[in-house]
Amino acid sequence: MSYVPGQPVTAVVQRVEIHKLRQGENLILGFSIGGGIDQDPSQNPFSEDKTDKGIYVTRVSEGGPAEIAGLQIGDKIMQVNGWDMTMVTHDQARKRLTKRSEEVVRLLVTRQSLQKAVQQSMLS
Amino acid sequence: MPECRHGFGDAGALVMEDCSVRSAATILASVREQEARFELLTRALEQERRHVALQLERAQQPGAGGGQSLPMAWQQLVLQEQSPGSQASLATMPEAPEVLEETVTVEEDPGTPTSHVSIVTSEDGTTRRTETKVTKTVKTVTTRTLRQVPVGPDGLPLLDGGPPLGPFTDGPLDRHFLLRGGGPAATLSRTCLGGGGGFPDEPRDVPGYGSLSRGLGVRPPRGGPPGPGPGDGCFTLPSRREAFPVGPGPEPGPPASRSQPERFQAEPYGLEDDARSLAADEEGAPELEPDYCTAARRRPDCGRGLRSRAYEDVVDDGGELMEERPPFPATAAPLAQPERGSLGSLERVVRRSPSADSARKEPRWRDPELPEVLAMLRHPVDPVKANAAAYLQHLCFENEAVKRRVRQLRGLPLLVALLDHPRAEVRRRACGALRNLSYGRDADNKAAIRDCGGVPALVRLLRAARDSEVRELVTGTLWNLSSYEPLKMVIIDHGLQTLTHEVIVPNSGWEPEPNEDSKPRDAEWTTVFKNTSGCLRNVSSDGAEARRRLRECEGLVDALLHALQSAVGRKDTDNKSVENCVCIVRNLSYHVHKEVPGAERYQEAEPGPPGGSGSAQRRSREDAGCFGGKKAKEEWFHQGKRDGEMDQNSDTLDLPKRTEAAKGFELLYQPEVVRLYLSLLTESRNFNTLEAAAGALQNLSAGNWVWATYIRAAVRKERGLPVLVELLQSETDKVVRAVAIALRNLSLDRRNKDLIGSYAMAELVRNVRSAQAPARPGVRLEEDTVVAVLNTIHEIVSDSLDNARSLLQARGVPALVALGASSQSVREAKAASHVLQTVWSYKELRSALQKDGWSKARFQSAAANARGPKAAPSPGGLDDSTLPLVEKSLDGEKPGGRDMIPMEALGPDGYSTMDRRERRPRGSDPAGETSEKEPLKPDPSRKAPPPGPSRPAVRLVDAVGDARPQPVDSWV
Repeated sequence: MSYVPGQPVTAVVQRVEIHKLRQGENLILGFSIGGGIDQDPSQNPFSEDKTDKGIYVTRVSEGGPAEIAGLQIGDKIMQVNGWDMTMVTHDQARKRLTKRSEEVVRLLVTRQSLQKAVQQSMLS
Repeated sequence: MPECRHGFGDAGALVMEDCSVRSAATILASVREQEARFELLTRALEQERRHVALQLERAQQPGAGGGQSLPMAWQQLVLQEQSPGSQASLATMPEAPEVLEETVTVEEDPGTPTSHVSIVTSEDGTTRRTETKVTKTVKTVTTRTLRQVPVGPDGLPLLDGGPPLGPFTDGPLDRHFLLRGGGPAATLSRTCLGGGGGFPDEPRDVPGYGSLSRGLGVRPPRGGPPGPGPGDGCFTLPSRREAFPVGPGPEPGPPASRSQPERFQAEPYGLEDDARSLAADEEGAPELEPDYCTAARRRPDCGRGLRSRAYEDVVDDGGELMEERPPFPATAAPLAQPERGSLGSLERVVRRSPSADSARKEPRWRDPELPEVLAMLRHPVDPVKANAAAYLQHLCFENEAVKRRVRQLRGLPLLVALLDHPRAEVRRRACGALRNLSYGRDADNKAAIRDCGGVPALVRLLRAARDSEVRELVTGTLWNLSSYEPLKMVIIDHGLQTLTHEVIVPNSGWEPEPNEDSKPRDAEWTTVFKNTSGCLRNVSSDGAEARRRLRECEGLVDALLHALQSAVGRKDTDNKSVENCVCIVRNLSYHVHKEVPGAERYQEAEPGPPGGSGSAQRRSREDAGCFGGKKAKEEWFHQGKRDGEMDQNSDTLDLPKRTEAAKGFELLYQPEVVRLYLSLLTESRNFNTLEAAAGALQNLSAGNWVWATYIRAAVRKERGLPVLVELLQSETDKVVRAVAIALRNLSLDRRNKDLIGSYAMAELVRNVRSAQAPARPGVRLEEDTVVAVLNTIHEIVSDSLDNARSLLQARGVPALVALGASSQSVREAKAASHVLQTVWSYKELRSALQKDGWSKARFQSAAANARGPKAAPSPGGLDDSTLPLVEKSLDGEKPGGRDMIPMEALGPDGYSTMDRRERRPRGSDPAGETSEKEPLKPDPSRKAPPPGPSRPAVRLVDAVGDARPQPVDSWV
C-alpha cells in the first residue's frame, strides 16, 4: 500500500455495504476507525506502510452491522459512498460515515489478504 | 502551507498503460461513461467548429511563410491526438493551486495527492478495475474532442459547422489521417492561421471552452503581424504541445528546430483538464460538499478558478505575451531540445515512473536540467520566465532535493526578483514557485528567501495584487516562511501592517467606525484570510516583543475578536481560520498582565498562599478610576466575599464600568471575552480551537492583576465551569490538559475552588484513573496532561478540607496510589504523591482513610518512591509544577531573560499556554519546521527539556517516549 505522492495507487478493493442499525436516536455502524491525515500514521498498528495516513478499521463490534457486512479489523477504507477516504482528516471520515441522512453506507475497503489473493490469481 | 503540485492527472496515464489488464466489460463501461461526457463537450465543440469554418472562409491570406508552416500546424494537431496517454500524463502539469490551499487547511503537510485505481473484486470472483478519480475518464474524452476538431470522418476537417462527429474516432484513425498528411492538414492549418489576423474575438464567445480554441490556436501566426486573437490561447496548451510522440509514419513536419519556440510558449498548464474535472463533478457526485472529499475539494474550486482565469488569459495576459513574443526561430526556448532530432514528450518530467517510461519506447524531448530551468528565469521572453517558474514549482513539489539544488544554484534570488516583474503572469508564477520552495522542514530555503529580500518583496506584491490567486500565493508563502523562527520578526517588521490592513481587517468584517444603522458584517473565511491568520499565528509565538507588536498593531485584535464573534454567531467554529484566530488571541493573551502598557497599575498585591480565600486577594494598590471607581471595585470584592454564602444562582458580578469602550489590546482581557471563549468551547468541534480557547482562559485567569480576578469571576458568572468540566472528558489529550490547567488557574478564586472541588473532582479523578489504567489501549493521556490534572487536583484540595473530602468520595485515593506506584513517569508519580501528602495532612480525614485500610506509610512511601531511584535530585524535592501558580509565574520572571522564552521557562505544565511551537528551543530543534504542522501531529521537539537543573535527565527520555499524541479512535 505504499505509494509515492502524486503517483497513482493501485489497490484491490472489496465493496462492503453496511446497513446502519438504529439505536434510539442514533444510527450505528458498529465499528471504529483510526487514522486520517491529521493523525500520527506511525501509530497505526494495521498499516503496512507506516506513513500511510489512511482511515483504518480499528475495531468491529461483535454481531454489529459492520461485522455482518463483512468488514474486518485492519481494513483500510478507501471510499465511503464514493467519497475518497485516503486523504481526509479523522473527523471528516467520521462525519462522512455518520451522516444521519444515510441509512446505508457503501464502503470500498482494501486489505492485504485481498491484494495477495489477486496477485496470486494474476500470477497463476 | 503545503506545496502545490501541478495537477492530478496521473490516473489517466496509468489507465492507458494498463489497458491490457482491463476486461472488455470495463472498457465498455468506461466508453459509455466517456460517451456521456462527450455529449457535454459536443456543443462547445460545434461552436468551435463554426468558428473554424468562419476563419477558413476568410482566411485568404496566402502569407509568405504560409506554405511552409501549414504542415506544421497540422502536425501539431494530429500528433497531439496520437498520444492520449502522454497527454493525460502531461495533464499533471496543470496548476491546481486551490488544491494545495485546501491541503493546508487540513494540515500543513501537503499530504499525498493520490489517485486511486482500484481493482474491484465482485462477489462472483471477477475482478475489474475502477477508479476513484473521476477525472481520468474525462480527460480521455477531451483528448478525443481535440482529435475531432480538425478531422471529419472522411479525413477532412469539418468546416461547415455540421453535426458533431461520431464520438469515438479513435487513435488509429487519426494516425491514419496523419499518414495521409498534406491535404486536410493544409486546409486546417490555414484555418488556424487565418484566425490570427482576422477574428480575434471569436473564441471568447465560447464560455468555458477555451481549450479548444487554444488547441487550434497552437500556432501563432507567422509572417504576418502577430496580434491578439485565437492565437492568444496558444500559451495554454503546453502539455499538448509537448506531447509529441513519434508518429508511426513519416513526419510531415518541418525540421524539429522550427517547432521549438512553440513548444515552450506554454503557459497555464493544462487548463482544460481542470475545466473537465468540473464537468466530471457535475455529473459524478451530486452531493459533493467542498469540504469533505479530496476530489470534491479540488475540483469545484480549481475548475471554476482556472476556467475563469483561462478566460482572462485570453483577454489580457495572453494577448500581451503574444505580442511580445519575438519572431519565430530567433528565440528558440532552451527547454525543448529534441533528442536525436525526433519528437518526444515531456511526460517523463511529470511521471517519473520507470515502468511508464519503458512501456513507451518512443524517444522524447530531453527534460530540461535544473540549471537550464533557472537560466530560463532570466530569459528575455516573459512567457519563458513564467513557464520556467511554473515548471520549477512543479519540480519542487515534495522534492526536497530539488529545493536544495535550486537554492544551491542561486535560484531563489532570481525568483524573488521576479516578484516585482511588470507582468502579472510572471509574478504569479514566481510566487507559486516560491511557495513550494519555502515549504518544508529545510529552513535554509526560508533563510535564503529572507537573505535576498524576499519578505519585503512578497509584502509589496501583496499590497499591489488585487487578484485573489496571487494574494493566496503570497500569503501562503508568508505562512510557510513564518514557521522559521528567525523570520518571524522579519515578517512582523515588514508585513504586519500590510497583512492586518490588507487582509485581516477587511476579511474579518470589523469596521473601525461601525455604521450605527448597518448590521455588523460577518467575517469571510477566504483562503487569503486563512493563510494570513496562519502566518500571524506563527509569528505571534515569537516571544514578548512579537506579542507586543501584534497587540499594538492597530485594528488587529479588534478584527480577530470580531471575526471570532462572527464565527460564534454563525455557528461556524470548526474551520481553520477560526482556529488560527483563536490561537493568535490566545498567544496575545499570554502574560498580558505583565506585558501590556500600564499593566502595573492593575497589579494586585501578592496573593495569599495558594488556595487562600477570595477575600485574601487584597485590593490593588492603584487608583481604581480606570474601571469605574473605587466604589465599584469595593462592591465587587464584597460581592466576592459574599459569594461563599450565596448559591450559584444569585452569583453576580459587577464588572467595572468603563468610561469609553475598550479597544485594541484592551479587548484581550475584558471580561466580555469570556463569553466568546466559552461559546467556542461549547460550539467548536475543532480540538485545536478548543485547546486554544481553553488556553486563552487559562492565560487570562493566570495573572495576579485585577483583570484576572474579573476573568475568574466572569467564567463562573457565565456558567463556564460546567463547560470546562465537561471538556475534561474530551478524547483529545491537549484539550484535557488546557482545560485542567485553566481550572487550576480559575480555582485561585475561592468560590471557583469550591465549585470545582464539588463538581469537577469526579472527572479529574476519572482522568487519573484512565491514566493509570486506560479504558482502551492507546488512549492513555500524555504525561504532561496527567501532571496537569494532578496539579489541578492538588490545587483544589490544598487549603480546602471539603475538596479533599470530595477527592475521597470520588475514590481518588486508590487511583492516586495506583498511579504513583505504577507510572513510568517520575513527574506523574511525584505529582500524585504530593496530592496524597496534602490529603494526609488533613488530620480530619485520617480516620476515614485508615478505616479504608490506608496507612500513613502508604502515603509517604508513595512520595518516597517518587523521589527514589527514578528521580534525579531536584532542588526542594518538589516538581516545580506543584508550586503555587502565581508564585511560579513570578519565579519565571526572576531569572534574567527567562521572560523572553516563556514556555521553555515554565515548561509544559506552566500555567499559561502558547502554541506549542513556542516551546521549541530556538536553533536547536532538529526537527525544525514544526509550525508547519498541525499541533496535533507528533512533535517531538516540543518536549525538549526546559532549561533548569530541576529537570532530571530521566524525564527527558520519558518525555520523548511519550511525545506522540495518542491515536484517535472513533466509533461510528
